[in-house]
Amino acid sequence: MHFLPKLIFISLTVMFANNSIAQDSADDAEQLKIAALEALMSAPPDRALPLVAKVLAGDSSDEIKSRALFVLSQIDLPEAQTILLDTAKNDSGGLGLEAIRMIGISGDPAGMAGLADIYRNGDNNSKEAVLEAYLIADDTESVYELAANAVSDEEFDAAVNMLAVMGAYEELRKLRDRPGSSESLIDAYAIAGDVESLRELAMDNSNPERQSQAIQGLGIVGGDEVNTTLVEIYRGTESEEVREAALHGMMIADHDEGVLELFKASQNADEKTELLRMLVMMDSDAAMDAIEKALDGGQ
Amino acid sequence: MINEETLTLYFYDDGLSDTERQQVEAALQSDADLAAAYSRLCRELEQWREPEADPAPAHLKQRWHDSIDKAARAEIKQAARPHAAFHWFSFAWGAAMTAVLVLGIGIGVYFSGNTPVIPTIDNSANGIPVIGEPATPVSFTRGLQLHLQDSQSEIAGLPTDASADRVLLLAQIIEQNRMFERAAKQNNSPGVARVLRAFEPILIRLASDDIAPEDAEALRAQLAFELGVVLTKLAQDTSNETHST
Repeated sequence: MHFLPKLIFISLTVMFANNSIAQDSADDAEQLKIAALEALMSAPPDRALPLVAKVLAGDSSDEIKSRALFVLSQIDLPEAQTILLDTAKNDSGGLGLEAIRMIGISGDPAGMAGLADIYRNGDNNSKEAVLEAYLIADDTESVYELAANAVSDEEFDAAVNMLAVMGAYEELRKLRDRPGSSESLIDAYAIAGDVESLRELAMDNSNPERQSQAIQGLGIVGGDEVNTTLVEIYRGTESEEVREAALHGMMIADHDEGVLELFKASQNADEKTELLRMLVMMDSDAAMDAIEKALDGGQ
Repeated sequence: MINEETLTLYFYDDGLSDTERQQVEAALQSDADLAAAYSRLCRELEQWREPEADPAPAHLKQRWHDSIDKAARAEIKQAARPHAAFHWFSFAWGAAMTAVLVLGIGIGVYFSGNTPVIPTIDNSANGIPVIGEPATPVSFTRGLQLHLQDSQSEIAGLPTDASADRVLLLAQIIEQNRMFERAAKQNNSPGVARVLRAFEPILIRLASDDIAPEDAEALRAQLAFELGVVLTKLAQDTSNETHST
């Protein structure tokens, strides 16, 4: 093993750079420090840790310290996680935010548990960073807890959006009963691709506005199953608003075959005109055939 | 020094010159430790030859075909542009397809259910405690290393302006990154999955149209460093595994 010479080289490099002994430019010194930090990954964690900690405690630039934080996230020792958590709690600037991200990368249970406190007491940037850390750690349960205990609509929406990005169907479904939350939740179902929840809401005509939003959400998800559902909804409703939402859903899902099918089946001139207009908007090849037939006096 | 890679090439009778093959043969005859290591490697590699990987699931194949179709359409559009001097897309696509093939093989093997004895890397190497975490297949680690190296070189060569080429290239990297993130989860590598997930927000920011050049440069430098660290760590883990066998 050639660890010792490598470690000596790294230590000398860091020391030289720290003490400005080297006559190179500041940029070169920075690059050397970064290279030294990267090389530390070859060292045993217990020997790398003190050197990284020294960089963080010294007067290096924030860029160097950010890199050191990343190296710490890759060192699975409790001391490394403690430094990350301390930095996340005590540094209110960019380094603190970076440390939050690194806690997510390390996935250390103690560090992850500490993120909840940081979220509660932090500003918007910290809250955003904590949500991103949960995303990185794939910790849907913690994001659900934040959504369930949100003290404002903004906090709730941010947490729900994150659950959507994480594809956390179950957690999103558990939030359905929260009052006034339907709009952001439907968007989240669409982003997460939760067809089942969207279809349930799209079939529920007790709230036409919510129903229309869910129908358009289905269009965002798309797919054969959704296409069939959208045509069924269009045919089955008496509500003009719902029918329009279904048509928009088909446009979003690029389901021109469904629109053409409805166009051919329609016996209503106004409806046929609207469907033909939609086919043209969808830039559908079928639209040209339909127009040609209409001009020929056919269907 | 004859390393595992050279022995692997020797085993497959591929990529070595006659002289290099003779050197390996001589070394195997004179170095008992190396010969023992080669025997172990042969046993591992033979296990890979035995089971035929089941075909990838149909939906996965469909997605690959869709991706290829999309890429072909994009390439046709790009070819139509008279000022297109660089072939970033072709380069990226070639690299991406290589990675997809590697991953495809990995996924095929993973889903085949024929994984009785897969060469593995012990994650407890490098002093990292991973209690209860099963070992990671070597094939996945090698595919991941290739992906990270490709990403590193592609990011280093990103066009500086916010062009369509840059966005397209980053979109490819993001797509590959997601596939490897999912594969990492399936291959008992939650730590790798977390790091890959952490790259994605940076890649997305880098792909945005309105990013200032200095911010883009800073993100690029950050990614280059983090990719380098992960590659170093993976190489260290692999090296420790080789030494411990």
